[in-house]
Amino acid sequence: MESAEAVDITELYAAHRLSLVRLAVLLVDDVASAEDVVQDAFAALARRPGAVKDPSKALVYLRVSVVNASRSTLRRRRTARAYSPPHGTPPPTPEDSAVLAEEHREVIVALHGLAPRQREVLVLRYWSNLSETEIASALQISQGTVKSTASRALVALERAMSSGKEQR
Amino acid sequence: MSTDIEARLRNALAARADLVRPEDLQPLAPVVELRPRWQSPRVLLATAAVVLLVLGVVLQGLRGEERSDRIAPKPDDRVELQLPTDVGRDWKADEYSTPRRLDLDGDGTKEEVTFLSEKTKSGAGRARIEATLSSTGEETYGIVDLSSNVVVSSLPPIDADDDGDQELVLYDGDVTGPESPLHPIVLDLRDGLLVEAVVDQPELLQMGNVPVPGSETPYYELVRSHGYEVRRGTLYSSRSVSSLASTGMTVIRPEELVRDTWRWVLDDDGVLRPVEDGCVLELITGEWEPCAEGARDALPALSRPATGTIGVGEQFSWTEGYQYDARLEAEADPVLVVEGADGRTINHPLEVADPVVSTTQPTSIFYDGASFVVGSASDPAYVQVLWQDADRLRVLQPVGEVPLTNDDTHRTWLTEEGRLWTVVAGDDGTWRAWSWTMATRSEMTALPAGTVCFDDVDDPSTARDC
Repeated sequence: MESAEAVDITELYAAHRLSLVRLAVLLVDDVASAEDVVQDAFAALARRPGAVKDPSKALVYLRVSVVNASRSTLRRRRTARAYSPPHGTPPPTPEDSAVLAEEHREVIVALHGLAPRQREVLVLRYWSNLSETEIASALQISQGTVKSTASRALVALERAMSSGKEQR
Repeated sequence: MSTDIEARLRNALAARADLVRPEDLQPLAPVVELRPRWQSPRVLLATAAVVLLVLGVVLQGLRGEERSDRIAPKPDDRVELQLPTDVGRDWKADEYSTPRRLDLDGDGTKEEVTFLSEKTKSGAGRARIEATLSSTGEETYGIVDLSSNVVVSSLPPIDADDDGDQELVLYDGDVTGPESPLHPIVLDLRDGLLVEAVVDQPELLQMGNVPVPGSETPYYELVRSHGYEVRRGTLYSSRSVSSLASTGMTVIRPEELVRDTWRWVLDDDGVLRPVEDGCVLELITGEWEPCAEGARDALPALSRPATGTIGVGEQFSWTEGYQYDARLEAEADPVLVVEGADGRTINHPLEVADPVVSTTQPTSIFYDGASFVVGSASDPAYVQVLWQDADRLRVLQPVGEVPLTNDDTHRTWLTEEGRLWTVVAGDDGTWRAWSWTMATRSEMTALPAGTVCFDDVDDPSTARDC
């Protein structure tokens, strides 16, 4: 049945909330913001049931919403910092990454030094395991851009990690 | 490409994600509220409301804006980017065209971009922007048409498409006239070439005072102050919310000015688009502060009247800028005697028998020589402004919408900062402030500067917001 009623937000919420929060936390790096991002995504879906008529596509819609909302969160965070006096607002700390193994922590720290789109492409590719086509669709960019962004992002990631080691 | 880095990334992402456990999330109470299936719009709205109220999330998109992920590209939206032709290899770099270092290809290493200018008689013409990409060793170039290509200047680089590489931003515009707003040019590396971005709504991306259509009067016009700048790798533009009175090179600008701002993003089609970024309060120093609720421009700076005057037989010295001594001598008519530090002496007969001359120079009207505000001890309505034209003082006749006087509905005074104000009473208890400026060598006119209220109009320090 192709109707809005076919999409049960409660079931979606129960089934996918955790994975979407995990996706968001890889993009924004703190659980509270990640939860907000995911709630926003569900709230947006709740307001627009007609936007997703096919239940099988609801997760795709939510994933795109989470990526977009994460980017907005980072932008607001960046803007808020730009308006603040020096040292007025400490940058968000990846508190959870402190308990990561060192080898993982340095990757995550380097990842969050990348440009937002580079980070999104890497997370969607290496954690969400999406294809280039799916990533292109999610980010509204061409497959060629996905490929080149991923390639550059990996180079930049490796360099950032090397640089981090040298500084230590 | 290293497979090791991919494996490390995959493992690190999994490890980071797994740190978020189900028990770490906020309770699932809303799920109970959301349990009923949506069967009608009413239920749907109630469900959405519960989601928002119980979870305390901020409802995004109530303004009806279409989400970016829901907008399909339309054929009409596509633009043709102008690819550069490979010309200008033999053009020369001007010694003042400083190369810019930025990461054009996003590999973490900055390229040095140099600017070569085509020689033209007018000074306007093309410039070739070229660099060698660190990632491939290949040369890239772009060609831009500039209003002045003698010196090519760039702003700090931006990453307007969030793709990890940087875009080059150049100044452009006719810098020879204040009436000519400046525009930035943004160049993005696309398919190995530096391609100029097409600007959507270019009227929002300019710098200068832009006239408000239809606002022109015989003596002034209204303008909006536009600007753009790069802050922390992002291109912002702004426009004053209020219109400002302007004549010649004079603009009446409050010390704090509310501006709407836009952040500029580059889309996949190479189009630079504005995104509303809220309002800011621009301080006199140029710094921006976020707007507080109900933010307004600062009141006109009326509140510090200059109180010092001299009468006949008295003198004073002006020690800023053009320095001079001035005294009032009693002859058949009182004479204002000015002795400049450059040896000039001027004797100017005054038309009132009991003159008082302010010891503050009206610098907002004239400061390239002596200038004076003259009043009468017995006639508060009498106000006259004199300015030094070589070896004589000349009277500036007031022209325009406002008389230069003091009466029931007008108050005129000079401030310690050297600005001459007249406030004009409105019908509702408000007063409109006008700031005097020189219009021609024989005329002065007043420009509107805002509306204020007074607790006591004879005490400018009581000026307040209405």
